[in-house]
Amino acid sequence: MPQKKKSNACLYAIIALLFLGGVGFLIYQGLSENSTYFLDVTEAKAQDQSKLTNIRLFGTVASEGIVRPEQGLGVSFTLEDQFDKSETLPVRYTGVVPDTFKEGAEVIVEGGFAGNGQFQAKVLMTKCPSKYQKENRS
Amino acid sequence: MYHFAYFLLLLAQIASIGGAGYALAQAWSGRTDGLRVVEKIHFPVTGAFALSSSILLYALSSRDYSLNYVAGYTDNALDFFYCLAAFWAGQPGSMLFWALSVAIMGSIFALTRGYGETPERSRLWFWIFFFGITGFFATLLVLWSNPFLMTEPAPADGSGLNPLLQNPGMIFHPPLLFLGYGGFTVPSCMALAQAVCGREGARPWYQSTRGLLVTAWCFLTAGILLGAWWAYMELGWGGYWAWDPVENASLIPWLIGTAALHTLILERGRGKLTRVNTLLISLTTISGFFATYLVRSGVVNSVHAYGQGPVGAPLLCFIAFLCAATLLIVCCSEKGRGELENPFSREGALCLTSLIFLVLGFIILTATMWPVFSRLWSSAPMGLDARFYNSVCLPLGTLILLLLVVCPALSWKFGVQNRTWLALSLAGGAAVAVLAWLGSYQRIHPLISQFAAGAIAAGCLAALVPGLAAGRTGFRAGSIGAHLGVALCAIGIAFSGPYNQKNDLVLAEGSRAKIDAYELTLKSIETGRAVDYEYLRAVLEVRDADGTLLATLKPEKRAYDKFQGMLFSEVDVAASFGKEVYASVSGLDGKSNMVVQVNIEPMVSWIWLGGVVLSLLPLLNLRRRRNGAATADASGEGADGSAAKAA
Repeated sequence: MPQKKKSNACLYAIIALLFLGGVGFLIYQGLSENSTYFLDVTEAKAQDQSKLTNIRLFGTVASEGIVRPEQGLGVSFTLEDQFDKSETLPVRYTGVVPDTFKEGAEVIVEGGFAGNGQFQAKVLMTKCPSKYQKENRS
Repeated sequence: MYHFAYFLLLLAQIASIGGAGYALAQAWSGRTDGLRVVEKIHFPVTGAFALSSSILLYALSSRDYSLNYVAGYTDNALDFFYCLAAFWAGQPGSMLFWALSVAIMGSIFALTRGYGETPERSRLWFWIFFFGITGFFATLLVLWSNPFLMTEPAPADGSGLNPLLQNPGMIFHPPLLFLGYGGFTVPSCMALAQAVCGREGARPWYQSTRGLLVTAWCFLTAGILLGAWWAYMELGWGGYWAWDPVENASLIPWLIGTAALHTLILERGRGKLTRVNTLLISLTTISGFFATYLVRSGVVNSVHAYGQGPVGAPLLCFIAFLCAATLLIVCCSEKGRGELENPFSREGALCLTSLIFLVLGFIILTATMWPVFSRLWSSAPMGLDARFYNSVCLPLGTLILLLLVVCPALSWKFGVQNRTWLALSLAGGAAVAVLAWLGSYQRIHPLISQFAAGAIAAGCLAALVPGLAAGRTGFRAGSIGAHLGVALCAIGIAFSGPYNQKNDLVLAEGSRAKIDAYELTLKSIETGRAVDYEYLRAVLEVRDADGTLLATLKPEKRAYDKFQGMLFSEVDVAASFGKEVYASVSGLDGKSNMVVQVNIEPMVSWIWLGGVVLSLLPLLNLRRRRNGAATADASGEGADGSAAKAA
């Protein structure tokens, strides 16, 4: 009986190790391929832009500079830092523009820097108006 | 009247904290004579929460804008039904609702036979934990999140309920989650109480609170799936799960709770893993609090801009305290009996299943908090997007499915017990996989999941149908039904996830486009006005390859009067259990062409079907408990052995 117990514990340990090893590998792979820097505009401007190929930027849409193409989808706009309005970045986005996109909206863009210092966004999300605390309650 | 409502919250606070304190003093001095008083206290607590909730509901229904909360979340144009639902649209209201559901679940439990059979000392400890939690909620409501704040003079109209929330899915999604969290509170308190008291008494906590445990799990499941359905139908981006922190927050308690339900099988049948179960059920409740912390405190930058409310810090302190207390109690409590059997047995498979659920919960928790953690070693926080979750969590999900294929066929000791049944399941899985392959759904990972889901469905049906037809009781119809629901959901996810097609189309009025095997015609672009919004509508005809009209879709883009400058999508789908055509209006471009998103979502409806099965069929287990109670009690531990054969 003690022999059996011991072998069971060993088997469980081996299975757990195999399992956790597999999970660890998945996580390692996931982390190296899919982690994105979360930055705001000031932080993004301070870093070496050629290395920032996959980042997520938080900011507000500036009141001026929203240009929509005459035909098709997409928008170009200026992204302001959430806290320091003087820090801005030009952003170009091709794709369906969300409903809530407008000047002054808090947005999240994902993508990387093109050569000319412009941010090429693959994803444009506007922050969902909260179900718990509404802003602009005028 | 609102002062009275506030006073009621204060009453609930004082009664709860007083009750917990008195019970603790009694327990400390080893007496139980005060129990008669302590176990009456839940009446004033539940009564106070219920009455103040009724006052809030009355204020909402009469649109009394002198109350800030009513003015903030309703207006004159809002349907009466949605006015009532605004109860849980805002933070103070949803906190009150949560407190109410915890209190009601406690009161219900106090009136059951299960509570009556619990020894006195365990009851006393139960109330210490339970009143601790209701006391915390009452304190939160009284100090930081008071729903009864007033403004003088009252505004003429409120600012309205967010149109995104004006959807039946969103009406039931939050209360179901809160009822789920609330329902898990009672079993956790009972488990901790029994751990403190050395598990005295004839009936362990998972039997005396079984009804609540099963119901809470069903509520939580239904809440999560309804949230997914809401996202699919209302947000207009054509998906049902985006791994957003808010979605993850509700999933973590579900994962831990589900892990607990599976390790409980080992405790119920053979008295093993006792401490693990106490820990897991407590963690389920604690992670419910953590979910709220994640959602409300603004610690993670989410797509949802949650108000950085003042409840974050108290919640975090409470969570830390609960974790420490739970760990202490569990470590000091008595161990379960016996060693685990060989891993290649049903015990082993169940343990591994629970382990995977827990690991999933841990990964999702860590990944959600990654922006916070990564600040420790990096100047810029790093986040993980949906691809990370998909690449890590989906393989684990597939592994769970594969385990579920073989687990019911395994013997409790070692090896495969029920070969015919296993062969039948595998044949069912193979059939599904072959069909998928022939339908040119040929990617490997989804194919494995589809195979597993097919096998589970076949196995469940093989176990369920003859049993139900013969009217047998005492077999696990509820659990098998739940697994059938899992299989249906898995089929839906394994097809709609990897094989959905998103198309952004720019169409002039009258023009056509071909997508997949469908031909779409934009018949007309309509604009107009409804009661409180203006709309832009696309009328799209969907025809199949032969030119037969399948559906006319009318997705809209709406601008509500009360929510100026924001547009809302109203999607339309040609619902189908095969390929579903999903259309959402994006807007007009500079040349007045309609920009529409048209997606092909194969078998997405199976998720909703599976969700209904998953949320409702486990309730069958409640019936079994009542019928089976006499036999199970008489034959001791016999119930599980026979259930094994039935499965």
